[in-house]
Amino acid sequence: MRIYAHRRLLTGLAVLASLALLAGACGGGDKGGEATPPPGEASGELRVVSNWTGSEGEAFQAVVDGFHQKNPKVTVKVEQVPFDQTQALLTQQFAAGSPPDVAVALPGIIRTFAGQDLLLNLDQQWDGWIKDGAYTDALRQIASGPDGKAYAVYFNGNVNALVWYSPQQLKELGIGVPTNWAEFTAAMDKAKAEGVAPLAVGGKDGWPLTQWTDPVILRVAGAQAFNDLARGKIGWDDPRIVKSFQVLGDLIGRYFPQQTLATGFIDATCAGAKGKALFDNQGAFLNLIIPAECDKSLKPGKDFTFFLMPRYDASMPEAQFVSGDLFVGAKDTKNKTATLALLDYLASAEAQEIWAKRGGYIAPNAKVSSDVYPDENDRKAAALWPKQAAVPAGYDLDDWIGGEIQVKYREALAQFTRDRDVDKFIATMAKVDTRSSGG
Amino acid sequence: MASRRGGTTTVAPTPPATGPSPAARTEAPRPPRNRLERFAPYVFVAPLLAVFAAFYLWPALVTVLSSFFRWGLLRPWTPVDPARWRFVGLDNYTTTLTDPSFWNAVLNTAVWLVVFPLLVVGFSLLVSILIWYTTRAGTVFRTVFILPMTISLAAAGIIWSFIYNADPQIGVLNAALDRLGILGADWRLGPLELHPGSWLANPGVLHLGFADVRLTNLALIVPAFWAFTGFGVITITAGLTAVPYEPVEAAKVDGANAWQTARHILVPSLRRPLVVVGVVSVIFALRTFDIVYVMTGGGPAQDTMVLALLLWQQAFAFLDTPQGGQATAIAVLMSAVLVAGSWPYLRQLLAGRSR
Repeated sequence: MRIYAHRRLLTGLAVLASLALLAGACGGGDKGGEATPPPGEASGELRVVSNWTGSEGEAFQAVVDGFHQKNPKVTVKVEQVPFDQTQALLTQQFAAGSPPDVAVALPGIIRTFAGQDLLLNLDQQWDGWIKDGAYTDALRQIASGPDGKAYAVYFNGNVNALVWYSPQQLKELGIGVPTNWAEFTAAMDKAKAEGVAPLAVGGKDGWPLTQWTDPVILRVAGAQAFNDLARGKIGWDDPRIVKSFQVLGDLIGRYFPQQTLATGFIDATCAGAKGKALFDNQGAFLNLIIPAECDKSLKPGKDFTFFLMPRYDASMPEAQFVSGDLFVGAKDTKNKTATLALLDYLASAEAQEIWAKRGGYIAPNAKVSSDVYPDENDRKAAALWPKQAAVPAGYDLDDWIGGEIQVKYREALAQFTRDRDVDKFIATMAKVDTRSSGG
Repeated sequence: MASRRGGTTTVAPTPPATGPSPAARTEAPRPPRNRLERFAPYVFVAPLLAVFAAFYLWPALVTVLSSFFRWGLLRPWTPVDPARWRFVGLDNYTTTLTDPSFWNAVLNTAVWLVVFPLLVVGFSLLVSILIWYTTRAGTVFRTVFILPMTISLAAAGIIWSFIYNADPQIGVLNAALDRLGILGADWRLGPLELHPGSWLANPGVLHLGFADVRLTNLALIVPAFWAFTGFGVITITAGLTAVPYEPVEAAKVDGANAWQTARHILVPSLRRPLVVVGVVSVIFALRTFDIVYVMTGGGPAQDTMVLALLLWQQAFAFLDTPQGGQATAIAVLMSAVLVAGSWPYLRQLLAGRSR
């Protein structure tokens, strides 16, 4: 569910060209898969694997209840699995031939499972959604397998590179909201001078470190290089990528807490929310997590809010990237009709509005009105979501790549956080990720 | 009459008041057994053997065989589908043995193999002897040490993650270091580098020249030891109940103090329970997975990656580059080490059974 985002769009022609190529590879006119059954026609039982608990789990259950109201003959059983165990559990169940009918998944695992012919083809559904203006081709790419066909629905959106802060603390320190990179670093320098930790970073959990690498690569190397790196078209030793890690190494050395690798995501989030650190660079989901995990009295917008991480180079075009949760249907499902009905429902504005009204959620369906969001932070974050067809969208780098490279990338990042040795990091990653050299 | 053999007690059967002597009984010709009698033992043992074969022998055999093929968990290797076999010979073993990640995991596992059994055996022995000397509340002390055994290792890991928490307002250890004013200190003592407070990130490094031993492993061994040491205390206190009191009494009469009694009477009498605790600790250390998974996931970087976790990672996380064969190769290598390491105990056990 982590993502980063940039406020505006990718304007680089090269990016558009690469996405256009991908869209072409997808085969836009392909009428693969099966049509969604009419509402109320489906019946039987469905098993769904999700990884939301607490208030998020309740929100998802409310969405499932909404589906049940429309399809009263379908009983849906939701199994909650810890986020970091989802891949292992799905692998076991798909390998054993007893997969859940519908399961939450990230792009890396979607491509792996689709490559093994384990998922339902959803091309027909996507054709309809794009025609209706609910989704864009760029989002379809994120939900596609290695053959370019769509195998997932986008249910829970997120934007990253949001720098969360307390307006009160910023005011007390006499710091304005940074609008460019120089102001951003100056604000952190001032906080340091005042004895306040500049940043809260929960590096112990691994993935929060990638919340930093993605926006820095985007801002320093540019969107084209970012997408090319994600797709294995360039290597980690590309000079633009090397420069990104030099900038990141400098940030780590100057502003990251000494205990970055010993601090978990929630502890870091709450440290930021309670004023122990000035900034916390994270996704939009913090709007739900801060009141739920740190202090129920904190009000979104008033006590905590965010700004988009500024551009590193003002001449660099802005880029917009997303992350979030998708759902897949098992090809071996015993109830294909109900599975397609549920997947179609999850992608609908009707379903997504149920959760959007509860907060801490960005609806990926462009038909969901911004009026449904309960507070200012959610509305600001939702406005960053790429809703226009002309807006290209990329996905969180390591969740996109997935598999062995993702695991080793996170390990190398932890080492880089410790030693800030750019050459060593690049050499490690060049050895791990050999896709650009045909490996 | 009670007799002690290697720390365990057996009670010789009292001869019946009437009837032939034991010698006469063994010499008396046995009546010919019919077919049913001859096969009866096998019939009784057969269900257990079937379970053993189905759930232990067959999986073990399949594991060894699958280590010679390339496969991933999404399409597992199966002996009944030769069409899907991709035979790679010893490639999985050579790849594993030339992989730096494997040797890093070997080093971390070696730290576990050395430190964990020593801690468990040493501490359990000390506590058990102290309890043995305790005239009162021995049961209370035993219970205190045994209680952590009732907690799952995953739960123990979560509890200790709180204790190790970097924030001194949450982590009790760092709160103490903060009070002492040494939180976040950097010390260098010869080849030893220490960073008190960074328990699960980088508490220190022992620079050996040929390798750097990350002390984060010790931070994981402590909770495992805390949760496991009750087993050692139970086993050794049980062994102590079998120590005959006469030599202890004689030692006292001869003027031996408590240390001398423990050193020369009790410890030599505990050879077998100590071997049991040592071997089980070694097995535990070699297959350590859960506490590492819960507390660090093998990180930061690969600082706490152990063999069992590396195996899991290759099987479950590297789906895009199927490495099930390499994972089973690691399992086979681990089993080989385990059998070799446990061999003295197994031999002793089998020899004991055959007597």
